[in-house]
Amino acid sequence: MKKITVFTTTTCAYCGMVKKWLDSKGISYNVVNLDEQPEMQKQVYEKSGALTVPITLIENDDSTEEVVIGYNLSRLASLV
Amino acid sequence: MDDNIHDVIMVGAGPTSLAAAVYTSREDIDTLIFEKAIIGGLAAITDMVDNYPGFEEGVEGLVLAEKLQKQAERFGAKIELGEVQSVKKDGDMFVLETTSGQMKAKAVLVGTGSEWKKIGIPGESEFYGRGVHNCATCDGAFYRDKKLVVVGGGNSSAQEALFLTKFASHIDILIRKDKWKASDVLIHEIEKNDKITVHFNTAPTEIVGGQVDGMQKVTKVLVQKDGEASEIITDGVFVFIGLKPVTYFLKDSGVELDDFGFVKTNLKLETNVPGLFCAGDVRSGATMQIASAVGEGASAALSIREYLEDYDRERKPSDTENK
Repeated sequence: MKKITVFTTTTCAYCGMVKKWLDSKGISYNVVNLDEQPEMQKQVYEKSGALTVPITLIENDDSTEEVVIGYNLSRLASLV
Repeated sequence: MDDNIHDVIMVGAGPTSLAAAVYTSREDIDTLIFEKAIIGGLAAITDMVDNYPGFEEGVEGLVLAEKLQKQAERFGAKIELGEVQSVKKDGDMFVLETTSGQMKAKAVLVGTGSEWKKIGIPGESEFYGRGVHNCATCDGAFYRDKKLVVVGGGNSSAQEALFLTKFASHIDILIRKDKWKASDVLIHEIEKNDKITVHFNTAPTEIVGGQVDGMQKVTKVLVQKDGEASEIITDGVFVFIGLKPVTYFLKDSGVELDDFGFVKTNLKLETNVPGLFCAGDVRSGATMQIASAVGEGASAALSIREYLEDYDRERKPSDTENK
């Protein structure tokens, strides 16, 4: 089963939209708030090359990973 | 009615369409709204809206967006998270190609609003999303105790710079002209904030980066200040230099645009294509305010209602034909 993590900040409206979309599809996910866990920022940068939110990390069954930067529904839909 | 055929499809779920949908759905007009990005549009990512009537203490943009959404949905409007790729009139129906498949509607409201313009200087695209940003409420938290540059001299630039002072240690605002275009209230707030320095007659010419803590980050902005080359050391750049209309999906619609790419309408907010209406920031002559977007949404809804009444009347079999 795919493991999905959404990296957010407290006031990020686009992050809320990603979560709302995943909820609407019945897909479960973890949330990491980078405001509250700033030590995770470097790890997110290393995986995505980006310093922005939302970042959605999809960990596949075969241990490969996909990253969706920003609110990109079409890419997210093709990966989850 | 067929699931894919609607009385009206609204493109973009910003304040314009959400207000219009309150009116149309309240009158049992089957209303579907498409949104490819964020419900509430740019209003939803605005930290605090101080000039929307009815909220004496101001209202958070996201809260206002949620209230507008709930009010529209309360009367039956449906919101689809997806993208409208094209709109074309075929006979007396509009055909919309969308990421959710083909949809048809008797009428269409374009309420896509606008998106941030880019400066168009070296480094801007290269560092977009990792040092160059348009969303302070999203990405401001990455700059706790850091130095920032904000580009732009309008209300958005002023307001977002004030929000960013929650995080940043210092902010340099670059304004190309010799004065603000922002409201006096915001200018006063900026002037009394000792974390902010305003640079007039200053235009960025390049965003420069380098390795910082193992990450490729923005390190400085090269500028022309009063005609002379200079540089400002910074950790990030937020750009708010104005808006451009979102109309790419109208390419094959036959709708008329003005010289700046905004959609032209008549006083009933109808375009040159009968049944295709437009309101809010994407409309030629719009004032780019949430309050006026909401007002235009309501006006467009009333015009759509009138159009649909005529539409149904003209297609209703007459008594003579029934005999």
